[in-house]
Amino acid sequence: MIEGLAGLAAMLALAFLRVPIAFAMAIVGTAGYAWMRDWNWTVAFAMVQTNVYETGRNYTLSVVPLFILMGTFVARAGIAQELFRAAYAFVGHLRGGLAMATVLACAGFGSICGSSIATAATMAKVAYPSMKRFHYSDRLAAGAIAAGGTLGIMIPPSTLMVIYGVFTETNIGRMFAAGILPGILGAALLCAAVQWSCLRDPRAGPPGERVPWRERALALRGIWPVAALFVFVIGGIYGGLFTATEGAGMGAFGAMAFALWRRALGWQTLYASLVESGRTTAMLFMILIGALIFADFVNITTLPGDLKDFVARFGVHPVLVVSAIMAIYVLLGTAMEELSMVLLTLPVFFPLIVGLGLDPVWFGVLVVTIVEIGLISPPVGMNLFVLSTLLPQVPTTTVFRGVLPFMAADVARLAILIAFPAISLWLPGLMK
Amino acid sequence: MTGRTGTETQRAPLWERRADAVLGVAASAILFGMMTLTFADVVLRYVVNRPLRGAFEITELMMLVLIFAGLPLVTHAGEHVTMDLVDRLLGARARRALVRAVELACAALMALLAWLMWLKARTISGYGDTTDVLRVAVGPFVYFMAAMILLSALVHVFKAFAADRR
Repeated sequence: MIEGLAGLAAMLALAFLRVPIAFAMAIVGTAGYAWMRDWNWTVAFAMVQTNVYETGRNYTLSVVPLFILMGTFVARAGIAQELFRAAYAFVGHLRGGLAMATVLACAGFGSICGSSIATAATMAKVAYPSMKRFHYSDRLAAGAIAAGGTLGIMIPPSTLMVIYGVFTETNIGRMFAAGILPGILGAALLCAAVQWSCLRDPRAGPPGERVPWRERALALRGIWPVAALFVFVIGGIYGGLFTATEGAGMGAFGAMAFALWRRALGWQTLYASLVESGRTTAMLFMILIGALIFADFVNITTLPGDLKDFVARFGVHPVLVVSAIMAIYVLLGTAMEELSMVLLTLPVFFPLIVGLGLDPVWFGVLVVTIVEIGLISPPVGMNLFVLSTLLPQVPTTTVFRGVLPFMAADVARLAILIAFPAISLWLPGLMK
Repeated sequence: MTGRTGTETQRAPLWERRADAVLGVAASAILFGMMTLTFADVVLRYVVNRPLRGAFEITELMMLVLIFAGLPLVTHAGEHVTMDLVDRLLGARARRALVRAVELACAALMALLAWLMWLKARTISGYGDTTDVLRVAVGPFVYFMAAMILLSALVHVFKAFAADRR
């Protein structure tokens, strides 16, 4: 127990001292492993070799770069404009309509892109100028983009779900299916947060113009490639036509063909998309390798077992356990990068969840929700950072304040998802 | 969560940009190849009912090359995820000293890792390990892995001392 906690503390201390998180996990994991084996460095080094080698040479994990590539291609293809126009055609005339259109367009974009950061960055370029034209307050505009963007990792495909799936040996196809309804619920609650913001300050989100039905139909027709790609890739994985990796490859290829067709892809941009995706992949894999090394250390400490015993001895209700874990995540998420936070703590929490007989798919959806909250929680939420970079004219404090109602909506969603596991588990339950 | 942005990289000396470009082209080609291979495999399976032989293995090995060719690029661009909260507590000089110490610590870790993977590569080559279907020798790929990790270690050393110039 003590060893495990000491390891966690040492890792956080190193990370606080600016050591890259992946490296901090690897250092503490290796040293901790040797320590647990009476300072036998040979076995610790063997463990490191195995983790580095097997993570590098892993077929299942090739799904990660391929989905990242798909997202990069669709971001370059400029489909965000069409998504926003279509969403605007339907809800733009309502109060706060453009902010709601932003959320819906983000959800649509999330259905072909697995990254929250890419979703927020892409939508910021499209939605912010439109909202400014209609005199939306910066608070509401920035909040809607930052929060809407987080839907990218809930609505499949999702890079985070893939990594969670690989790390916990949970079926990736099931994870994807599980994310659909919570993603829709999330979008609805974010729209409710827009309404709440407009009630408090009616000038924040004036209505846009009403769009006649004929044009609505036209706008809908503009987004067919998104729908086609989503149905093809996610439907193909869900229906068992191909594996997640194959789906990712097909999706990346389809997205590239689509970008070529729209003449949005030359040699330069093709190269840039590939290099960008390659670098993101390498960065993610370093975190994954560090986390696996750290996990091997935690697994030979008594920490996971002690925690399980503690819960069993006092007969703590499972929902209380899950809520406590989520509370810890929300707190950690304000200071830590989310993926590392999740991978760092999963070796401790996951056995507890499985031991309580809870569904790993459901817990995965909760983890994704938590990461979404972490991405927009000040001061270090990654999506807030992205927005501050892309919209330098909006003060950081405005972004921070604007996102608060949306954080409340996300916390409400988390509570709903904990209370009603069926929202997450119904669709994967239908899979063979 | 900070990093050198693209524009800063463009101002770097020529040889740095060239080294970046070589690895970048390699990583891009591999990723493009992975995508095309997966696509071709699925299409052939459904259209002519004949999947590509050993596509699985090739993807695995390509994955390895992609990640480890990308590693020095990520290191060079300073894109490793880092918590920079401490920056607000430190003065400019203390921060520079800390950054240098961290770069050197990372270099040491990477050098250790490179050595470990080199030993692993030697073991694997010694057994003459090959993939199951296409009989591709695995050893050279693991040597490549070790070499790229070593290169990353050197990049860390370089960055530790280049910090003053920038």
